[in-house]
Amino acid sequence: MSATVPDLSVEIAGLTLRNPVMPASGTFGWGTEYADLLELSSLGAVVVKATTLLPRPGNAPPRIVETPAGMLNAIGLQNPGVDVVVREKLPPLADCGAPVIVNIAGETVDDYVAVAKRLGASPVVSALEINASCPNTERGGMQFGLEPGPLAELVSAVRAVTSLPLITKLSPNVTDIVPLARAAVEAGTDALSLINTLLGMAIDTDRRRPKLGNVTGGLSGPAIRPVAVRMVWQVAAAGLGVPLIGMGGIMSANDALEFILAGATAVAIGTATFVTPDTCRQVIEGLAAYCVRNGVRSIREIVGAAHRP
Amino acid sequence: MEQVKSRITTTHAEGADCQVLILACPSIAAATQPGQFVHVRVSESADPLLRRPISVMLADRQAGHIRLLVRKVGRGTEALARLPAGATVDLLGPLGNGFPFPSAETSGDILLVAGGVGVAPLVFLADTLQTHRARFRVCGLLGGASDEHLPVWTELAGRCEEFHVSTEDGSAGEQGLVTELLGEHLAQDGTAVVYTCGPRPMMAAVAQMCAEARVPCWASLEQWMGCGVGACLGCVVPAAGGDDFLRVCKDGPVFAAEQLAWEALGQ
Repeated sequence: MSATVPDLSVEIAGLTLRNPVMPASGTFGWGTEYADLLELSSLGAVVVKATTLLPRPGNAPPRIVETPAGMLNAIGLQNPGVDVVVREKLPPLADCGAPVIVNIAGETVDDYVAVAKRLGASPVVSALEINASCPNTERGGMQFGLEPGPLAELVSAVRAVTSLPLITKLSPNVTDIVPLARAAVEAGTDALSLINTLLGMAIDTDRRRPKLGNVTGGLSGPAIRPVAVRMVWQVAAAGLGVPLIGMGGIMSANDALEFILAGATAVAIGTATFVTPDTCRQVIEGLAAYCVRNGVRSIREIVGAAHRP
Repeated sequence: MEQVKSRITTTHAEGADCQVLILACPSIAAATQPGQFVHVRVSESADPLLRRPISVMLADRQAGHIRLLVRKVGRGTEALARLPAGATVDLLGPLGNGFPFPSAETSGDILLVAGGVGVAPLVFLADTLQTHRARFRVCGLLGGASDEHLPVWTELAGRCEEFHVSTEDGSAGEQGLVTELLGEHLAQDGTAVVYTCGPRPMMAAVAQMCAEARVPCWASLEQWMGCGVGACLGCVVPAAGGDDFLRVCKDGPVFAAEQLAWEALGQ
């Protein structure tokens, strides 16, 4: 008798995902860039780049710099605007075989509302992820993500205009992430993504200038993983009743398991995809192997298992 | 584009700060065009984390290997240069657009203007142009700080009908900048097209001189890079005439000189 195939499926915000692994927004382009190297239909979901109401050219280069076991980025939400996204970027994903989640950003609550409405009319979109945490534009989301009041206002405004499942991506650049998570849940978010990048900076000592054109950027990669695991743990411990999508420096199935055991129902892979384009596939296979090895029939059995006495 | 594990068959130091690596990777060798690059993982560890984009200097389709010229400028390239023969490296490639080949109507001189390690993609281009010698002359101009900073110059020289060197300290060839050699060449008529790769200020000057001489110019750029496949938008450079940006990894690394905002790039 062959070994039982473990059930990796999970439910996030009313969506059933065949497995808990997806790319992180902003690291996977519009989904098609990696199609040569990764079967999109094998993913739990496809998460595309942040979309704003109007086109945004993005920040002046240099936009990325390597740091110890990580990288800083300051892309600046470059995207062609929601109209072009709906018309040109999303249709190629119509038959990709995985739910498509679109990250939305804006300068004002009205911007987010307009983008959410526009995306709601696209048959390709399965869920929205509110970006309340981009650290790389003056007004690109993080201004909403640092205090419970503005965050709740943003989430409820978007909630009011869309019936799509709603995920809110939180910023780690706060003293205590739990009040932010609670505010988003009370305002109607169906799930939480945590964490976005940590605000950081690097200086070129020869030129005596910041290395990034934007001066500061968002730190990602393995360097931030312990911070991200801790935040998932804290939010899970608060028992807010919504599923968590954990991310931050996941390079392997074992890293993903840390997040799942800390309380994440799903995980997202970001920077690792740049290094190893098929990291998502490796993580999916590694999670299945872990389940087989440990007699876990469904990955859902071990979500938050590290909290149990 | 594919991701392959490739064995280093040979590695040797070159000049003051470069290393030449020969890598066995038949499928990439078969597919790579001049001007394209491979994205190289320099270690299995998470630090240094990111791949390094390296131009392909030559692709030998029959032997199934590619040759890379690596200048040791930081932790990643130093780690790559330290790897011994027999070591395996993870390659993603071929990536980028490559040099557009001169059109069938092209006649006259094709100028390859290289600075330092920028010689690498132009060696590959010269190699490919050799099979069309009847149509045009290939002239190579190479500049460097000193004779220690002219890596693999014989590889370019041997593939050009005409070849000139300049060094800033005069230790090899003419003393001065490679752009002075270019100026002399452009002063005579007959330059059909210029291909250039080197430090940004050099390429900015080359682009300007070509614009004034009304000679088409193609420049191959370098930039800190994330994904290498056009997804992360990390490696952009400013486009000419506006607020837009172009991705070095996907829209480039080779650009028509007039596509770029050289005043912002050349600093």
